[in-house]
Amino acid sequence: MLSRVAASFYWLSRYIERSDGMLRMLKINYASSQDTVQEFTWEPVIRIFAGINGAEIEKLENDSRSVLKYMVTGKNNPNSILNIITLARENARGVQEHIPKDLWQCLNEYYHTVKDARLERSLQREDPIGVLDILIKQVMLYYGTAEITMERGEGRSFMNIGKYLERAIQSVDILDTKFSSISENPDLLTDTTYWKHLLLSLGGYELYLKTYREGFEAENVLEQVALNNDFPRSVIYSVNNIHRYFDRLKNDSNVDTFREMSFQIGRLQSRIKYSSVKSIRTDGLHGFLTQTRNELHGIGNSLNEYYFANS
Amino acid sequence: MQESAYFDKYNPIGGVWDEMYGLDSNVREHYRKVIEYISKESADDLNKKEELAKRLFMSQGITFTVYNSGEGIEKIFPFDIIPRIITASEWAFVEKGIKQRLTALNLFLKDIYHNQFIVKDGIVPIDIIYSCPHFLREMYELKVPYDIYVHISGIDLIRDEDGTFYVLEDNLRTPSGVSYMLENREITKRLFPDLLPQCGVRSVTEYPTILYKNLMALSPRQISNPTVVLLSPGIYNSAYFEHTTLARLMGVELVEGRDLVVNNHKVYMKTTTGLQQVDVIYRRVDDEYLDPLVFNPESMLGVAGIMGAYRKGNVAIVNAVGTGVADDKAVYVYVPEMIRYYLNEEPILKNVPTHQLGNADEREHVFKNLNKMVVKKTNGSGGYGMLMGHAASEQEIDDYKKEILKDPRNFIAQPTISLSAAPCYMQGSLKPRRIDLRPYALYGPDGIEIVPGGLTRVALKEGSLVVNSSQGGGSKDTWVLA
Repeated sequence: MLSRVAASFYWLSRYIERSDGMLRMLKINYASSQDTVQEFTWEPVIRIFAGINGAEIEKLENDSRSVLKYMVTGKNNPNSILNIITLARENARGVQEHIPKDLWQCLNEYYHTVKDARLERSLQREDPIGVLDILIKQVMLYYGTAEITMERGEGRSFMNIGKYLERAIQSVDILDTKFSSISENPDLLTDTTYWKHLLLSLGGYELYLKTYREGFEAENVLEQVALNNDFPRSVIYSVNNIHRYFDRLKNDSNVDTFREMSFQIGRLQSRIKYSSVKSIRTDGLHGFLTQTRNELHGIGNSLNEYYFANS
Repeated sequence: MQESAYFDKYNPIGGVWDEMYGLDSNVREHYRKVIEYISKESADDLNKKEELAKRLFMSQGITFTVYNSGEGIEKIFPFDIIPRIITASEWAFVEKGIKQRLTALNLFLKDIYHNQFIVKDGIVPIDIIYSCPHFLREMYELKVPYDIYVHISGIDLIRDEDGTFYVLEDNLRTPSGVSYMLENREITKRLFPDLLPQCGVRSVTEYPTILYKNLMALSPRQISNPTVVLLSPGIYNSAYFEHTTLARLMGVELVEGRDLVVNNHKVYMKTTTGLQQVDVIYRRVDDEYLDPLVFNPESMLGVAGIMGAYRKGNVAIVNAVGTGVADDKAVYVYVPEMIRYYLNEEPILKNVPTHQLGNADEREHVFKNLNKMVVKKTNGSGGYGMLMGHAASEQEIDDYKKEILKDPRNFIAQPTISLSAAPCYMQGSLKPRRIDLRPYALYGPDGIEIVPGGLTRVALKEGSLVVNSSQGGGSKDTWVLA
């Protein structure tokens, strides 16, 4: 497979996964902004997904409609849903003869839905949750179509590696941001709505209720989001899947680079697998998350160098 | 006339060859079945067919992108549902004429990049060659496989008022539009079920097979499975759809410049398993952008070092580099002489009489008669930068004259040729519109093959003589009868 084609699969998938994470986050945060007596701040969401500096965040952080506009249809925000879906579509366009027609049409529709001027209007004037739901449905359609139509070959492996790498990075970023807010504001530690919204935005609320009977505890949330093998957005689940799909590239790979990357992924996987909430607490959560994030980026860089020929 | 309401209301343009409407005010024999077929359809049905055609093009993504105020808008290339029909005898003539012309042009390219006998014998003046921007010294004494330069050509033909075919342009660089020849036929199959076999229309589906066979044969390495790629400028190119279509139909990899790398005078593509040597490149990137080390250093579309590999004979490039010198409009004037010189034959297809404005006497003559002339740039294409004398204002003519005088070598003038007309379906009736014809000739080691068909472009605006898609043109399915 051409390196560029593999890279397009990988990035296409990362952008889609990013849009999914963002949309869910925006939806839950908007709902939570309607459910509070204090002034609601969007600062953590903007910090995780937009990468802009303090002054710019301040301008936006307390106005829900402006934040939604900036994050969903903002032309000047390189990470807005509009811009990342445009990029996803461009990647797909460049590999059109490698993906099923259904998948291309599905992505095309997602793109046209985001680009539609009516969407921007509704986002400003009507119920934003309805609008975000329309977009979330587009992502689900995409994932369903990919599952049913994608050939089980090298291309799909690169797609899934991209998907789970993006997901792992997101979960790490979310944990890092949410837990660092606690050190500034210790009251949050016992604020049940704070943890409830975090779990809702990751789709892990119901699983949490079934697993832990003692109410919302920071350590339990950390355990679920970082270490629970059954939680599809946990760091360990994502890393396990990166390993699983990378392994499938074995026959299509150069022996040396495969061994090197296999080592890299395996090391990360074992480090997380053999961690516990207690050991993470002892070593420092921020340090643990930073190292995990660096190693995930390291995997991305190695793919870039060994498989996408972008060294 | 019992034939059809559509036909009865048809008003042919006076003094213009009409492909359907005969001199005796009857339907020409080869159009009869089609006219009978559509007369059974109501205007409503035909409108539905037109809608269906549009939908098929759109849903298959057969679109080109127009960039306007930063936003890309996707459009379809307008398609007229009534086919353009060519009889077996007309085709035999065209086919013979194109083969002859292409043979001579190819010999000219070999000659001009080697011994230049044609210049030494005084047939073609040297200044015409050396002043052509597409004459590339880099090609001098470079041996190309089988001495074939023009593997793919799309020579544009038109017909004047008595139906005589003329060559309007020789497109010998990277002619486009062949995907429309193939797609238009697929659409017609859906629009008019059973009509194609009833009329005895020859198939065009062999095109990708022949092209692939020819490309394989050029491989410099004698191996059973050489790597053939199609080099595209990428997704922003207006012909990107065509590139993906051809790559898919031939089963070859579609690559961009950044996918290729040259090492030790060999071209490789970067794959997930490492570098894989490339043997044959069907490139849809112009000469100028092909190699930043040799041509335009700003080019991001090409591959650094590819000309070195080409010169060593380690890779075949299709079409050969430097073929533009043979389709330059100033060189065009000499093609009939080339045919006599190289082949000792009389040209079968005529040239449109052409004045070179670099020549002072001819320039004076043209300036006096500008209202009856079409003036073109010698290296222009796509219908840009043309002056249509009969339709231009005084001001436009004066401005254009100034432009010409800056560098007269870059301009030629031709009398306004009255393109032939064919019926087009427009809001419930048939209307004559002007057309041209671009058959695609494939030149391989086994000789020249021309798929029976081609692209018929049509000027959809009433009275317009410009068929280019950038100037409001559309296309028709082109039938060659058996």
